[in-house]
Amino acid sequence: MIAPLVELARRRADGGADALWRRFERTTVAFEWGRLKSAATTEEAGANLRVRHRGRVGVAGTTATAAAPDELVGRALASAELGEELDLAFPGPPSAALPTVTTFFDRAANASLDDLIGIGRALLARLEREGCRVNVAIERETTATRVANTAGAGGEYRGTAFGVSADVWRIAGDDVLVVSDALEGADLPSDEALAALVASINARLDHALRLVAPPEGALPVVFTPAGLSALMLPVTQALSGKAVLQGISPLGAKVGAQVFDARLSLADDPLRVGRTASRPLDDECLPSRTVCLVERGVVQRFIYDLETAARAQTESTGHGTRGIFGKPVPGYTNIVMNETGAVTNVVGARHAAPLQLGGGLLGSIQDGLLVDELIGVGQGNVIGGAFSHPVALAYRIERGEITGRVKDAAVAGNAYELWKQVAGFGNDARWTGSRWAPSVLFEGVSIARR
Amino acid sequence: MIDRLTAALARSRADYTEIRVERTWSTAVTFRGRRLDSATASEDQGGFVRALHAGGGWGVASFTSLDRLPAMVARAGDLSRAVPVEPPIRLADVSPHQADALLDLDGDVRGVPIAEKKRLLEAYNGAMLAVSDRIVDTLALYRDEVSEYWYVNSQGTILHELRPEITLSGTAVARRDGTIEKGLESIGLRRGWTSVQDKTAGFREVAERAVELLDAPMVKGGTYPVVLDPELAGVFIHEAFGHLSEADFVYENPQAREMMTLGRRFGKPVLNVGDNGAAPGLRGTLPFDDEGTPTQDTTLIKDGILVGRLHSRETAAAMGERPTGNARATSFRHAPIVRMTNTYIAGAPGGGSFEDLIGDVKLGVYACGAFGGQTMLENFSFTAAYGRMIRDGRVAELVKDVVLAGSLFQTLDRIDHIAADFRWNQMGGGCGKAGQYPLPVTEGAPHVRIEEALVGGEVGGA
Repeated sequence: MIAPLVELARRRADGGADALWRRFERTTVAFEWGRLKSAATTEEAGANLRVRHRGRVGVAGTTATAAAPDELVGRALASAELGEELDLAFPGPPSAALPTVTTFFDRAANASLDDLIGIGRALLARLEREGCRVNVAIERETTATRVANTAGAGGEYRGTAFGVSADVWRIAGDDVLVVSDALEGADLPSDEALAALVASINARLDHALRLVAPPEGALPVVFTPAGLSALMLPVTQALSGKAVLQGISPLGAKVGAQVFDARLSLADDPLRVGRTASRPLDDECLPSRTVCLVERGVVQRFIYDLETAARAQTESTGHGTRGIFGKPVPGYTNIVMNETGAVTNVVGARHAAPLQLGGGLLGSIQDGLLVDELIGVGQGNVIGGAFSHPVALAYRIERGEITGRVKDAAVAGNAYELWKQVAGFGNDARWTGSRWAPSVLFEGVSIARR
Repeated sequence: MIDRLTAALARSRADYTEIRVERTWSTAVTFRGRRLDSATASEDQGGFVRALHAGGGWGVASFTSLDRLPAMVARAGDLSRAVPVEPPIRLADVSPHQADALLDLDGDVRGVPIAEKKRLLEAYNGAMLAVSDRIVDTLALYRDEVSEYWYVNSQGTILHELRPEITLSGTAVARRDGTIEKGLESIGLRRGWTSVQDKTAGFREVAERAVELLDAPMVKGGTYPVVLDPELAGVFIHEAFGHLSEADFVYENPQAREMMTLGRRFGKPVLNVGDNGAAPGLRGTLPFDDEGTPTQDTTLIKDGILVGRLHSRETAAAMGERPTGNARATSFRHAPIVRMTNTYIAGAPGGGSFEDLIGDVKLGVYACGAFGGQTMLENFSFTAAYGRMIRDGRVAELVKDVVLAGSLFQTLDRIDHIAADFRWNQMGGGCGKAGQYPLPVTEGAPHVRIEEALVGGEVGGA
């Protein structure tokens, strides 16, 4: 339906239009508390249209895709009537062919319901242990996306996504322990990846059974790839062109400045093979490319979509992200830490096992913490950089070894200050959602106990 | 539509089948600073089928193309047969209901031009911006919807509802040099256009506070007597206790069941907690849940003792208890799961006023409003919007970065004084669980005092 929609919009909107059409089918099997409980399927399709008319931009979305496109165009024009003037130019066709990135994997698309159930059962069997309860969910999705605009740019691609998640619960009296992990990728997970998931949960569970008192004071703290969220979130928020435009990004005036440890590099990479966020072009018809955000501690650039770029008088970096409802916004694809070289496709498809909890960073620590999960990440004034979170899952490190799990402790600090000097990067880089990062050791993180 | 649904139901070969169809018209307006960010109207529609064969698990199908309804009924049945479950899933009895419920639209938003919605939001946004030139940014959101809802199941329940919802929120960002502070106003109701007029004062107030916070010191981390305002107390009871009272957490988990044994003491006799899906006009209110069970007021904690929990038909059957009308789904995209509605700490009759709570506090913290809250089972963390120190029985200086953290069991047990000044917090936002967000809920509470709680701020002070 996208071609007639864009054509109709061209006739009625004097400043052009762009549209996204997306359809997906998802199959999910869920094991609750150790037993297979449900199987579900979802079919969904929808369209999102943006028009520019009399210098003003409007947006409309619908899942009633069988309806005549007139209605959607009419709603987008009504939205434009209220909109503010914006000098938004829809990009023309790219000069070169769209980059090639494999987003569709037949093995994932063709996996049967029984295959999904089989993966779940195998995981359950390997995670079962005395006194614990296990939840497992397996999810497979196939998507088809088409984008087009009135300037002649556009493209389409199919994608697959496969997600496996498991959590193990152990309740002893009033002590509730939950250890979980998930892997997601575009392809069917390999046996090695599933084994890594099991090993990751079991290793953290084994160390968690013994409770020890938390340390206190300004101490070395290792954040696992998952635990790193509290330190990454302020940085990624501050690197969004939207925050810069609003004047609330602490990094807004820092392009070219050395603000982080010289060993920290960050890139956004939509071309990683095997990742669900990868795509050949963004949701606003711009070809995908890898964007270096921070190189050796120096801020390089921010991410933009068309509108944010137009307002900031710069170019879109190809980060337009849109759903069926609402307008496009700048969004990251795959955030990759410390791998700024050529795209290595093999790594992209991998779900690395933690070689060893802490990524080899624990040896030098006399007394400190290993933080795997914090409570309340994302609350409050995130972009400011200051954080203070109780631990959900953390371990005490004494004389280079994990001695047990700590409860009733909180860690606090300022993300920007901590990233200025990193005491070490681990050798355990892995995907956590769409972020590739290792464990990271910081000195002098404030730890309080209660 | 009902005929179409009952016809599809009649063709199902499953032992139990339910079908839900929703058609939602919504408009949304957003301002950032002085600039209109977007004004859009959307239409969302789709269906949901859930089927159960004897000895099978749930077979579920959701879809946006209603032409697919017969195929999806068959597919849900197939999926149920494909997942054998032992012991079998049972559903507690609920007598069939036929109802055509038109909730009070209170000014049908569908009859209001979007330009007028823009003007209303512009006025509230402008009130925030006008407070001071220290207000460097605002984010103001308006959203309304009317959802037409149909539900049928193979046990004879047939429901048709028209459900309104309206939410407004404003964030004011104050900045001076490197210091950034926020104020947040939020309104959410299961009503219409009329209910959101004349709300300027609230927006102005949060912007004023954001500016004031620029000069406020960070609270000094430590253990204090803490008084929660009704808003934060409501968020606390929802996050820290409410989720544990959802029976899907305990019904198949013996250890969790033990932790949540009815009769266990959770607090002092002054503590009374419940969930009321039938309270009029609130966001969490509906006549029936998404399994066709009538909503009700369920007491969870009575005089400090755990006496109840929230159920779906499945969890009620598994635990030999009665369904409470708490099986809810955020939309046709999801299966109903056990959720809260309007969760509250009851005001203590004779509990007195806020002044009575702080009168004997020498040094304490008055924690107000909520920027967010998260619970990891027995551990929670809440970020208050702002706080004030309590000194010698009086409210003293403004403080910022008030983060409350602790263990649920300890903290509930340390609630020693509850005032009589109960109120519902009619806020927007919503509750998230199992990938379903945002579910409209409301919380309510009076002022509540915790004799001792950990307040993070400058944690460690190292």
